[in-house]
Amino acid sequence: MTVLFGTLGWRPQSLIPSIRSTEGLERVVFYHSEHAKSRDARGKVMEFCRSLGVAANGVELSDAFDLIQCAFRIREDVRKERISTADIRFNIAGGTRLMSSAALLVCILEGIPATYVHDDTYREIPLPLLRIRYGEALTAKQREVLAFLVKNREKHFSETGLARALGVHKATMNHHLRRLEAAGAVERAKDPADARRLILKPTAGMELLVG
Amino acid sequence: MSERTLIATMGFDERHVLPALRLLPYDRLVLIAGRDTFRSPGFRRLRSLEPDLQSVRVDPFHFSDCLESIRESVRLALRNGPVRISATGGTKIMTMAAVLVAFQEGVDAWYCDPNPVRLPVLRGVRLAAAFSGAEGSVIRLLRRAMPIELLVPAVIEYGFARRTVLASIHSLAGKGLVEIATRDGRALLRPSPRLALIRAHLGEEPEKA
Repeated sequence: MTVLFGTLGWRPQSLIPSIRSTEGLERVVFYHSEHAKSRDARGKVMEFCRSLGVAANGVELSDAFDLIQCAFRIREDVRKERISTADIRFNIAGGTRLMSSAALLVCILEGIPATYVHDDTYREIPLPLLRIRYGEALTAKQREVLAFLVKNREKHFSETGLARALGVHKATMNHHLRRLEAAGAVERAKDPADARRLILKPTAGMELLVG
Repeated sequence: MSERTLIATMGFDERHVLPALRLLPYDRLVLIAGRDTFRSPGFRRLRSLEPDLQSVRVDPFHFSDCLESIRESVRLALRNGPVRISATGGTKIMTMAAVLVAFQEGVDAWYCDPNPVRLPVLRGVRLAAAFSGAEGSVIRLLRRAMPIELLVPAVIEYGFARRTVLASIHSLAGKGLVEIATRDGRALLRPSPRLALIRAHLGEEPEKA
């Protein structure tokens, strides 16, 4: 069975083609903003799903203008659904630019097939995404280091301190950090408490990669 | 000498591009926009600020066209130095194509509306890196449905062990790029519709073992 996720703007036509074309559709989960026209569109999509006998859940995103928060919310729902559902698809055509971008980010990072619906022809266009998690491009150890830094974002770790905290040799830690730094996943900054000391920080948005 | 390139998508309003110009240092600016943008007052104002900007025309409502053009611009710019993408302006299709290219080509991408948000792209990690050498050979040889018993020896010719080839076929099936079916008692491997899309984006021949 398939669960279809989608983003919805003012026009239900951006989502309905995917509802029609998805085989074995069990449920539709879609995100929309607080705007009155978006709520109207939600009503139409719910009605369409009811007529097909498909369960639907419209989720209103109160702050549909914050990219990372929007992506977090969507990813949380997708991950919950993944536990019980064999197949997940995403239609990212509707909604604000930011909402669609957040949905696309989740699809890239989680390896979910995504489609776009053309504005005029209403034809579904599959996006060239792989069914692999993007974070797997890092090694398990690099992911562990990055996840630790993300979890302890508020703390200030030097390279040596980080090696000690994770129980690895500092030369090994240096190797992992150089790779992560080259990939733009971590950056070095001056310690606000001691300008001679460099501390390591994950770059913005890395929570989405390893969180 | 290394040259930093900023590739920015733009619609009619140059104000969506200006935060990126202010926040992301660059030596060369490449502007991705639709035909009508180049006749707009917004573009003229931007050109007066950046007379040397290079413009790339796309169909702003055609996803594949945007994807191809942005990828081509990124690959050309990467020859000269680091590249950054600002995906804030233009149509939603242009933004999504720019985001996708950033992840596929491993270049930094920013969304500045108005505060800059760096997308979690791993710099230098390209889509091609997601495939092993054996997977690359299977992708190259599999143009239409063919019996696995014929495909496997053909891939072995490239110097891979049989076990590696079979593992790569299963791995590609897991990635949703090939489908395994049975016809007249023979196992067939066929490319999924997604493989055609991915093949176009790999852009280089897979390496031999």
